Amino acid sequence: MDAEVLACSVDSKFSHKIWQEQELSKMVEGGVPFPMLSDPGGRIGRMYGIHDEAGGVNIRGRFLIDPDGVVQAMEVLSPPVGRNFSELIRQLQAFQHVRKTGEPTPAGWQPGKKTLKPGPDLVGRVWEVWKVGE
Amino acid sequence: MGCEEKEIRATVGKKAPDFEADAFFQGGFKKFKLSDFKGKWLVLCFYPGDFTFV
Repeated sequence: MDAEVLACSVDSKFSHKIWQEQELSKMVEGGVPFPMLSDPGGRIGRMYGIHDEAGGVNIRGRFLIDPDGVVQAMEVLSPPVGRNFSELIRQLQAFQHVRKTGEPTPAGWQPGKKTLKPGPDLVGRVWEVWKVGE
Repeated sequence: MGCEEKEIRATVGKKAPDFEADAFFQGGFKKFKLSDFKGKWLVLCFYPGDFTFV
């Protein structure tokens, strides 16, 4: 997929170490392979608009950042629901495709599926060239 | 609040706010900057806390 991952919470780097050693390494062989960032006080979380002041934690925000450092997508969930990585991967593939080819990808696009070529000819004729679910 | 980062907010289509943070990585402690990852696609995931359940 060619992407780096960073995880971030308000916990200390010491807590990250123990969590990795005591629990994560039992869920994922070798432990999680990405850096676990420490954000005491939620300074970074606040910059990303996902710090919960009352709870003192960073909530489940996910930001997809391109090679120029520009945010291309974000998703924020409240604490009780976990993420679905298949949609993250689909978005990453779509943004990488757009960056490479300049072709916009329609709803539900997957690699290998049809893209659109916007222009005057396409106005009002998307229905002819692209079907829902295609 | 009241810090200088107050104005900076991550928004789609805008530069992601840069930061430096302590991290645990590959068995050791290290500092990372967001800008260290320039030239790469990056997924930045926040989560409420270590040892939680979801």
